[in-house]
Amino acid sequence: MSLFQKIGNIGKIFRQNGGLVGSYLKLFRTDDLKWGTLVGEDKYGNKYFQNDYYFMGRNRWVEYPLSVGHDYDASQVPPEWHRWLQYIADEPPSQLPLPKRKWMADHTENLSGTERCYVPYSTTRPKVEAWVPPKNNL
Amino acid sequence: MKGMKVKTDSPVTRKAREGVMEFLLVNHPLDCPICDQGGECDLQDQSMAFGSDRSRFTDNAFTGKRAVEDKNIGPLIKTIMTRCIHCTRCIRFASEVAGVDDLGTSGRGSDMQVGTYVEKMFKSELSGNVIDLCPVGALTSKPYAFTTRPWETRRIESIDVMDAVGSNIVVSMRTNEVMRILPRLNEDINEEWISDKSRFAYDGLKRQRLTTPFVRNNSGELVATDWETALFDIAQRVKDANPATIAGVAGGQADLEAMVCLKDMINRLGSEVLCTEEAFPMINSGTDFRSNYVMNTTIAGIEESDLVFLVGTNPRLEGSLVNARIRKSWVHNEMCVVLLGAPVDLSYDYQYLGDSFSVLKEIADGSHPIAKALADADKPMIILGSDAIQHNNGSLILDTVKRIAKNTKKSLNHPDWKVFNVLHRNASQVGALDMGYKPGMDSLKCDKPSLLFLLGADADKLNNDDLHGNAGVIYIGSHGDAGAQMADVVLPAAAYTEKDAMYVNTEGRAQVGRQAVSPPGMARHDWKIIRALSEILGVSLPYDKLSDVRGRLAEISPTFDRPGRVEETGFDNVSDDVTIDKITHTGATAPVVPALLKLRDFYMTDPISRSSLTMAKCVQAYDEAEANPYSKPEAI
Repeated sequence: MSLFQKIGNIGKIFRQNGGLVGSYLKLFRTDDLKWGTLVGEDKYGNKYFQNDYYFMGRNRWVEYPLSVGHDYDASQVPPEWHRWLQYIADEPPSQLPLPKRKWMADHTENLSGTERCYVPYSTTRPKVEAWVPPKNNL
Repeated sequence: MKGMKVKTDSPVTRKAREGVMEFLLVNHPLDCPICDQGGECDLQDQSMAFGSDRSRFTDNAFTGKRAVEDKNIGPLIKTIMTRCIHCTRCIRFASEVAGVDDLGTSGRGSDMQVGTYVEKMFKSELSGNVIDLCPVGALTSKPYAFTTRPWETRRIESIDVMDAVGSNIVVSMRTNEVMRILPRLNEDINEEWISDKSRFAYDGLKRQRLTTPFVRNNSGELVATDWETALFDIAQRVKDANPATIAGVAGGQADLEAMVCLKDMINRLGSEVLCTEEAFPMINSGTDFRSNYVMNTTIAGIEESDLVFLVGTNPRLEGSLVNARIRKSWVHNEMCVVLLGAPVDLSYDYQYLGDSFSVLKEIADGSHPIAKALADADKPMIILGSDAIQHNNGSLILDTVKRIAKNTKKSLNHPDWKVFNVLHRNASQVGALDMGYKPGMDSLKCDKPSLLFLLGADADKLNNDDLHGNAGVIYIGSHGDAGAQMADVVLPAAAYTEKDAMYVNTEGRAQVGRQAVSPPGMARHDWKIIRALSEILGVSLPYDKLSDVRGRLAEISPTFDRPGRVEETGFDNVSDDVTIDKITHTGATAPVVPALLKLRDFYMTDPISRSSLTMAKCVQAYDEAEANPYSKPEAI
């Protein structure tokens, strides 16, 4: 690869990421700067890119919407895009939509550590039955 | 035979034992893994020690082992009669100790069956003891069925508080839960028995419990809150109250530590109004002398007596083990029993004098034949029931009985023998009186308290008319019962299995109960609650540790410092001589009848047994048994 191509790639990166300031912010948020073609976008606002210039494993990636800020994680990728992102399928769901069954639940991200996280509760009877004061006994 | 040599461990002996074990096991099922007696089974132990290591049992005819139909003998005892090895211990216990000939055998040889002949309830207040007696798993505890194995539980030695006998018990605990209660040997008190209420009311410790403090809100409802809010609410009420009319009431199951803390705190606040729920007439020397209100001859002393005169009591239900002791003497020592009161079934014969007070008066005057019998007796005992004392003419009854005792003593061959005894019903009563609590709530009602502390007082003997206009009521206790319902602030405390506490029984014997499980939820030990409260009220009590409280108890009375021993009461003659005539004669006297008449009344008497499902089932089973034409009706 010639030096010109490399400089050209840098130019593409800066152009795609919104100039000098945009690229700085992108680097700040994702620790990475890449350029590629937009393959599709899911309903959560995740954007999926592909560029075979990068080697396998780095050539498909996701950019999370700005609305999630820094709280992005891989569980925010819905399963059909996960399928493409992890090379389980060649075609992205935007090209080859998967059949939607009526029993399929909506995708939820991993809620551990948030207010909405799952908390298991005891299903056994308590050992001690507490007294409930009678209502309106006056 | 003289000079005979008995070989207990020769090869022949061992072989003979092994043979006997084989015969026993021929008709005993091998269901140890599902048997409740597993781990504490005498047959299992014998088999391990003396049995063969392999079975020669082959069922040649394929008829199976002997099988016997199970009997239904009430809600307490589960029977799996196939396991019965015909030792007849239960039958002997029922007829000899309990005095209820309900159990017996039918058939002979391998066809023999132990049972009640017709299906009926085993109607005895001591019925649970046959579970301990049964060497195998034929009679097991119904409420305890399939809950724990003996090696999983931790056993804590404690004291029972269901009556004033103070039976020694073992509390079996697992995973912070009381699994069962068993008797502990104490020849001076309960021997090796306990009553059904002591044994089976433990499930009441898990129901209707106070687990958080409550404060009554503006709309008159008790709302759960935290300790801080509740304690500061009390502080405000104490500030608003007139300190001289702050009152405290010790309930029937209050322990010594809590009672001394409450007394010290209220005294420091400037009030002297502290009383117990059970009354005692303050005539003559009142409760100033211990001999006036304890069982002077002790429970074991009953066995020395040759005449017992019961006045207005039903010892069978008020102190079951005292009754068992009287029965024991009646059977073995040819003791005579005379009863004045209701013609109740005491499980032994007695001479009935009716229920009229005039008979008592005749005896005191010497015109009744019993007066002569008492005078002639070697070691007579008069047992006065707490219901007779709390009779509307209690002072007159007490005075008359004291006069009888005094007359009897004149002709006594044994100068040390004490004739007069009181049988209390509440575990806290003697301790409270020792400590200086006033008996009964009459004095409290006169004072119209502006703030009332109830220490587990659930007898429902107070109503709002007895209190000053907007007086606050603070309840410290373990169960949501009558006391908690009338209270404005409820503080959750520990029940008797949840605290290290001392109790004084009707003999005046202080005993230490040990903590088996921790109090539920936010509940705390009673004395610690009062200690914390005293600090907020600005009258800090000078004890930080249980040993400090016990030290304070020892300061009050040396009897509290000698747990397990009964101190002989002194000043008998002095106490008899003090005569202050305060007796109010109210003309006609109502019959001297105790409150507990039938076995049905026995089961639910205190907050714990009232919350117990097992005890409720007993009451239900009793009612069904009464309807059963084959069941022998109880006297009265």
